[in-house]
Amino acid sequence: MKKVPLIMAVLTVAVLALFPLLRPEVYYLSFLFTLFMYVVLSSSWNVIGGYAGYLSFGHAAFFGIGAFATAKMATAFSLSPLLTILSSIPAGLLAALVALIVGYPCLRIRGPYFSVVTICFAFVVDLAVKNIEELGGAEGLWMTFMDLPEETSRAIMYEVMLLLMVVTLATVYLLGRSRFGRGLTAVRTDEEVAETMAIPTAKLKIQAFVVSAFFPGVAGGLFAYYLSYIHPDAVFSINISILIVLMAMFGGGGTWLGPIVGAVILTVVNEGLSTFAQAEIARIIYGALFIIVTIFMPDGIIAYFRRWATAQRKA
Amino acid sequence: MIMDASRPLLQGKGITKRFGGLTALSGVDFHVERGEILGLIGPNGSGKTTLFNVISGLLRPEEGRLSFHGRDITNLAPHKRARLGIGRTFQIVRPLATMTVAQNVATAVLYGREGIAGFREAEERAHYILSFTGLSEKADRLPSELGLGERKRLEIARALALHPEIILLDEVFAGLNPAEISQAIDLTFRIKEAFGATIFMIEHVMKAVMGTCSRIIVLNFGTKIAEGSPREVASHPEVISAYLGAAYAGN
Repeated sequence: MKKVPLIMAVLTVAVLALFPLLRPEVYYLSFLFTLFMYVVLSSSWNVIGGYAGYLSFGHAAFFGIGAFATAKMATAFSLSPLLTILSSIPAGLLAALVALIVGYPCLRIRGPYFSVVTICFAFVVDLAVKNIEELGGAEGLWMTFMDLPEETSRAIMYEVMLLLMVVTLATVYLLGRSRFGRGLTAVRTDEEVAETMAIPTAKLKIQAFVVSAFFPGVAGGLFAYYLSYIHPDAVFSINISILIVLMAMFGGGGTWLGPIVGAVILTVVNEGLSTFAQAEIARIIYGALFIIVTIFMPDGIIAYFRRWATAQRKA
Repeated sequence: MIMDASRPLLQGKGITKRFGGLTALSGVDFHVERGEILGLIGPNGSGKTTLFNVISGLLRPEEGRLSFHGRDITNLAPHKRARLGIGRTFQIVRPLATMTVAQNVATAVLYGREGIAGFREAEERAHYILSFTGLSEKADRLPSELGLGERKRLEIARALALHPEIILLDEVFAGLNPAEISQAIDLTFRIKEAFGATIFMIEHVMKAVMGTCSRIIVLNFGTKIAEGSPREVASHPEVISAYLGAAYAGN
């Protein structure tokens, strides 16, 4: 990263990290927690969906697997709050393992077929979890809360999710600028040509899929603990899968900044609409926003403003 | 890998490729010797590009074996063949449109046979190859900003970036003007000298074939009908009949 953007990134993170010291209302901490979470989800998705061009519409599955794995570990072993937070890491690894197994056959399929298969995968996982008694079945799992005042516990979860976001963004940034990232761009652009350039496309795609599943798995674990009650519908919903894709594409898939911008804008708009507008009107505005962006900025907001800035400079 | 000087660099035996009811290649035997410039000619639809696709691994033959340095590569993935040193260009150019000219080449360097993993070193190597192919000034352009001749050279540059032992050139002369053809012929010889690469080329431009190749294989309807020096091939009755029709063959 060049010096100025790096300083800006560090400053932003520092300000966000110090924010809870101002003792803000719990509402703001919760809102930012959700925002960070969506940045994690859409930025991770970007590794397979944006860089490699394989549009996964089942990423909620990895989020949900992480959530249930953490919830199960916490209840089964009666973990302390600290250990519960840490157990989201093995939960993320489990999500990554599932991605490895599922990715092997699925990533042989290209284009819309891959998207359809990932949707089916998410449905299958959802149904499986609902039918496993040990995972609470259709009733879900309850977890014990931190024995702390609400402000403190929310502030802790806020900081942990912020940390996960920073780690995710740093990883995705470095991957994007590595030999691996170059290989993925080649895969996205023309997979057959990539093969003739000695790029092991099958291996790269699986690695990308595994990385893109790991961070959502960890995020799911944190989310489960944050809610303290986890139900399949709350984490496996297709709406989450779709939202992840929309956020990344809205900002600009395949760019580092795109999913961040998309996640921030859409979370803010969503929250604003649900606060200030009736539910029906909110949906209409939300939908209209997508239509406008898709028509006028098909490559996402980032690409649109880059072109605009270049045009300004030339004029 | 075991190097065996007595074996041909690349060898195909009984290569048969079918697309449904159409037999694109039927029992083709060929071999490429180290250091030669071998031409592959034949009328449209005779199976030339199909043979290149089989060699580079984008297509699997139904029958036959392929070997490189005596090692069987019939079932090897395309990227492994590229890594072993089989580079290719595409007849209808396929640059990676999302990357600049220099990035196209540097990416191939990063994954190619030289084992260069560092970006700076890969970029230096890419710039050397771009200057070799006369594309230095276009390094930071997108492929869409290049003319056809330049795009053809980008195909060559990207294949050279792998540091191939053999490079398959699929009609890199087609659509070029006479001046560009002379340049391209010159480039073909320079590739052989500077990179020590063996060249196997499909070509329709007769001036290019006759002027560069030491040996030529002729395909027609998926079958090898002739093989030999340019002079031998040009006077071969079956070749004349394939190109000009049976009526001419007798004269």
